[in-house]
Amino acid sequence: MTSFRLSSGGLVSRAKPLAFTFDGRTMRGFEGDTLAAAMLANDQMLVGRSFKYHRPRGIVTAGSSEPNALVTIGSGGRAEPNTRATVAEIYQGMVATSQNRWPSLKFDIGALNSLLSPFLGAGFYYKTFMWPSAFWEKLYEPLIRRAAGLGRASFEADPDRYEKAWAHCDLLIVGAGPAGLMAALTAGRAGLRVILADEDFRLGGSLLSEAVAIGDQPASEFASSVIAELASLPSVTLMPRTTVFGWYDDMVFGAVEGVQKHVSVPSSDRPVERLWRIVAKRAILATGAEERPLVFGGNDRPGVMMAGAVRTYLNRHAVAVGKRVAIFTNGGSGYRAARDLAAQGIEIAAIIDGRAASTNEAPAGVRVMRGGSVVATRGRHRIEALIAERSGYDETIACDALAMSGGWSPVIQLACQRGGKPVWSEDRQAFLAPDVGPQLRMAGAAAGEESIAVCMRHGRDQARAALADLGVSVPLVVIPGVEGETDGSFSPLWYVPGARDKAFVDFQNDVHVKDFGLAQREGFGHIEHTKRYTTAGMATDQGKLGNVNAIGIVAGMGGVSPADLGTTTFRPFYTPVSFGALAGAEVAERAKPVRRSPLHEWAKKNGAVFVESGLWHRSAWFSLPGEKTWRESVDREVLNVRANVGLCDVSTLGKIEVFGKDAAEFLNRIYSNAMLRLPVGKARYGLMLREDGVVFDDGTVSRLGEDHFVVTTTTAYAGEAMSHMEFAAQTFWPELDVRFVSVSDQWAQMSLAGPRARDVMSQLVEDDISNEAFPFLGVREVALKGGVRARLFRISFSGELAYELAVPAGYGEAVADALMEAGSKHGICPYGVEALNVLRIEKGHVTHSELDGRTTADDVGLGRMVSGQKPDFIGKRLSTRFGLTAADRTQLVGLKPVDRAKELKAGAHLLKEGAKPSTVNDQGHITSACHSPVLGHSIALAMLKSGRERFGEKVVVWDGLRGEEFQAEVCSPVFVDPQNRKLHL
Amino acid sequence: MSLSLQNRHALEGHISGFSSFSNANHLSIVRGVAVISILVQPQRAEDARRALATIAESSARSCGPFEWLIVSETRSADSLLQEAISLDAASVDQSDGRVVMRIAGPDVRRILGKCVAVDLHPDSFAEGYSANLLIARIGANLARLAGDCFEIVVDRSNAVWLFEELVARGREFDLSAGFVG
Amino acid sequence: MASLIKCPHCGVRPREEFSVRGDASVVRPSPAASDEEWHRYVHIRENPRGPYREHWQHAAGCRRWLVVHRNNVTHEVYDVMDAATVAKEVAQ
Repeated sequence: MTSFRLSSGGLVSRAKPLAFTFDGRTMRGFEGDTLAAAMLANDQMLVGRSFKYHRPRGIVTAGSSEPNALVTIGSGGRAEPNTRATVAEIYQGMVATSQNRWPSLKFDIGALNSLLSPFLGAGFYYKTFMWPSAFWEKLYEPLIRRAAGLGRASFEADPDRYEKAWAHCDLLIVGAGPAGLMAALTAGRAGLRVILADEDFRLGGSLLSEAVAIGDQPASEFASSVIAELASLPSVTLMPRTTVFGWYDDMVFGAVEGVQKHVSVPSSDRPVERLWRIVAKRAILATGAEERPLVFGGNDRPGVMMAGAVRTYLNRHAVAVGKRVAIFTNGGSGYRAARDLAAQGIEIAAIIDGRAASTNEAPAGVRVMRGGSVVATRGRHRIEALIAERSGYDETIACDALAMSGGWSPVIQLACQRGGKPVWSEDRQAFLAPDVGPQLRMAGAAAGEESIAVCMRHGRDQARAALADLGVSVPLVVIPGVEGETDGSFSPLWYVPGARDKAFVDFQNDVHVKDFGLAQREGFGHIEHTKRYTTAGMATDQGKLGNVNAIGIVAGMGGVSPADLGTTTFRPFYTPVSFGALAGAEVAERAKPVRRSPLHEWAKKNGAVFVESGLWHRSAWFSLPGEKTWRESVDREVLNVRANVGLCDVSTLGKIEVFGKDAAEFLNRIYSNAMLRLPVGKARYGLMLREDGVVFDDGTVSRLGEDHFVVTTTTAYAGEAMSHMEFAAQTFWPELDVRFVSVSDQWAQMSLAGPRARDVMSQLVEDDISNEAFPFLGVREVALKGGVRARLFRISFSGELAYELAVPAGYGEAVADALMEAGSKHGICPYGVEALNVLRIEKGHVTHSELDGRTTADDVGLGRMVSGQKPDFIGKRLSTRFGLTAADRTQLVGLKPVDRAKELKAGAHLLKEGAKPSTVNDQGHITSACHSPVLGHSIALAMLKSGRERFGEKVVVWDGLRGEEFQAEVCSPVFVDPQNRKLHL
Repeated sequence: MSLSLQNRHALEGHISGFSSFSNANHLSIVRGVAVISILVQPQRAEDARRALATIAESSARSCGPFEWLIVSETRSADSLLQEAISLDAASVDQSDGRVVMRIAGPDVRRILGKCVAVDLHPDSFAEGYSANLLIARIGANLARLAGDCFEIVVDRSNAVWLFEELVARGREFDLSAGFVG
Repeated sequence: MASLIKCPHCGVRPREEFSVRGDASVVRPSPAASDEEWHRYVHIRENPRGPYREHWQHAAGCRRWLVVHRNNVTHEVYDVMDAATVAKEVAQ
């Protein structure tokens, strides 16, 4: 193995060698290396196979625009596919693997595609795999997906942590190169809150790759001294390894910070990546410029690289990309590379300059071929020679690397993510950011500036302008002179004529020049159409390298200027962001907030099995030893409530206290039934309608004082009911004195239900709660023995004699324990929401299974609760409209299977006997169903057309989903105690 | 039947694995705090704001233009409710429905910055300022008691969630946690 | 949609703290209003492109209902007012 590492120089820590593997082969690099730099140092130019043709590909860039060097880093759950080797920092033990090749990188079966390439042009898949359409899903798509594509996602869970955070600043500067550093220094010295973010692990941008001197220091040392000063300023936050990927409304920027992606074993105390939302008053984009590839035959051969990248590997990483490097350029960048390579003693095969003349000077003794072009390259896994052509004559030039430069494109993506379109500059021969207002400014190379000296001044001046907007004037930062800079100008060259091999525009998606011609001929000339048709710019690099050339080529074909053609649309993300970072800590059991009842611990110690219900975890049932199925537990709980007594946690109901001298009037307008004359000390069932006349929610209303009520809502609608009431109070009737406060969390509420409920409750309550003193629908504050004040409601959902006892939440567990103890001799048992559901179905009480957003009060048998007397309430006017009062509306009924062994299930549809299942024949559906332990068979509540007239009729229960069809008898929805005798015991 | 009813804190049993000492960054769960809600009519808001500031041994936390939480570690909820009568305010004891957490230390803003979108720089969230806001995806009241000391009043049902969230976000800063009071 | 909303009571807050109800220009008719008026109020909404007034609730903040006047093309927010204040103005 040949080492391409120089014996000295660079910004790597030679004292800190690191071992890593690539495709199982152990290699060594130094701290400060990217994976790409370390691979190049180890003579590993070949890094992957291309997407479509499986052509061998090498490292092209030294940054985030890399199209080829996509590798999988890590293994198991940490395996991260499609990672750019050019930005990944190496660490001890890193495992990197190449992608899209089989069986190996050097010998890849898929490369046969290259031979088929005449058939694999743009639109090939669209045209070929159309018919027969049934083949697409079963045959074509799986085949294509296997053959094409990038790395494979791991099927193992990611063991690492991620998180999100917010940051705020006066000035956000994106990019810590010459312009960004001077902008940060300007604002930081003035004491402003500055965030300086850069995707690189080392701040300094292009200064780290430069061989020039600034003041009397090498450029990288100058950068270090500026960064040291910035780090010392308390109002400045430096954020290396942070990619600002999106610009959103109201000056919110999205950024992702690599916190521990560069360490061997991440600490579990910190995330591996952190997603930032940065709120900035002003922002400066000092994002630099991207070097354009040249589009010539064989330009994808491994070893063909950007000239700027060659300099980065040379100056920053002390890695020569070859022993004999050729240069193909149309501007000053190629000469800069030549100068730096020559200074390190690297042999230069030749400089081929596409321009006939230029002022650039080659290093002494280096041959320059002016007006020449490269038309083909040779070599298998690395370039061995190029074929240059000038004036019709070919010449083969041996080389093991080729540095190319087609000019520069400012990095303007962020500035265009909110709808602004890039503007073509004839002067700069590049797209520049549009004027997006004073909040966001471009600086340095990102604004089209060229030399380091100009970029530094521009960064400083843009910061001063941004601060002037904020009313802050700052002293001028003195910028030292730059020595050794050469002319970097270029003439655009969109593609090089005479190509003898494929000339690639988009390396990652294998789009070459001919594909654009095809797109034109087939009518996809609009640049957005061309993009979709050819897939240019649609890969993970989003066309950072190729897009401008693509536009130049398509413009050229149409005989127009790039200005006329425009660009495709820039959207977040600037570079790919992991799903882990986007999810943050919001995964698994932390995916959404969980609310906990004050009786949670009580339920747990009584053997509750919990069920997720909205944001709550509620007790579903309480298993006893020996019970094998949930049904056994639920049946026992139901029978025990009907025979003895049970205790259920109902703390999750919404509880809203309503105050104010107009509270009664307000509730009278919110509920469909009358509330104005509800006596103090009484509860009433209440129904709320939507304005369109359909039922919104139900609950209880209790009057605690003349101007003081407490209302309950269902658990599911607690938040919406509160918002609904607030909306009505604030926008419909702001003149009413009514105030609400949620007390849902203040009270632990438990339902004690069953014929023995009073026997149990009276042991805890000081007050007289006999039927005479405290009848059905009574409400009062009571004193518990032991000194706690509580609220007692005599209301029932189960149909049994029942109380709801509300105690301050902290006492909930103690009171529930006391009730269990008091009830032990009465056979008390805890019961969960499953039993509660069975109890209410047996009693014919509705929930949101019946109140499903389509039913009226009359539909569910509550028509008497819609007051005809009240002048106005929400939903009144439209509750009587045509359609809501039609005779054939579905109505709440009960159902029993004729064959008692059959099981009714919610969702099944109802048909007349003999009718075929169809929408027209549909008679309604089952809303709730359960096994009734009291009756010993399955029962259901259903909505049936004109149902109340049809008690006794037999209907067909048709369940297409579960493939069942059987007879059921229509009956009253009240299966238990239809005379309500038990409520009044 | 004679009863001796114990009040159980929402985080009882959830604070474990922490030493009794506190690190530089520390999360205190304050026990035995009286918290009441106060709501006034809009036209009485200014008077109420002034009057609430004068209630002894307590601190008024703003929840909205016409609504506050009065928090006291020394007074009873009943005595605070008495004060509300003179304000013609609706008032409700929330002491059992709220959990009070105090988080303090040199990195407190960095920890809270992972939970709160609002800028906590003293220029925009000054000492004595309080507001309802989203914190770790749930609504709660946040107040700045001092430079690096914040207090959160959170619904009891969300307290475990928020506690676990703060502890997780504070791990990189060695946040410790424990009861006080 | 805006990322940040300036609540008149609480200051600048993230969008996540708010919930959007919809068109704030409709006014609840009197009980005596015609069927047509009620139909329009409950069922008919303009869907304008550009400036738009909507009811938003600062649900995780002060819980006040607000009228957010914003542009649904440019996402610019022109102003935010308390909905009760607006309702009282409309009533006068």
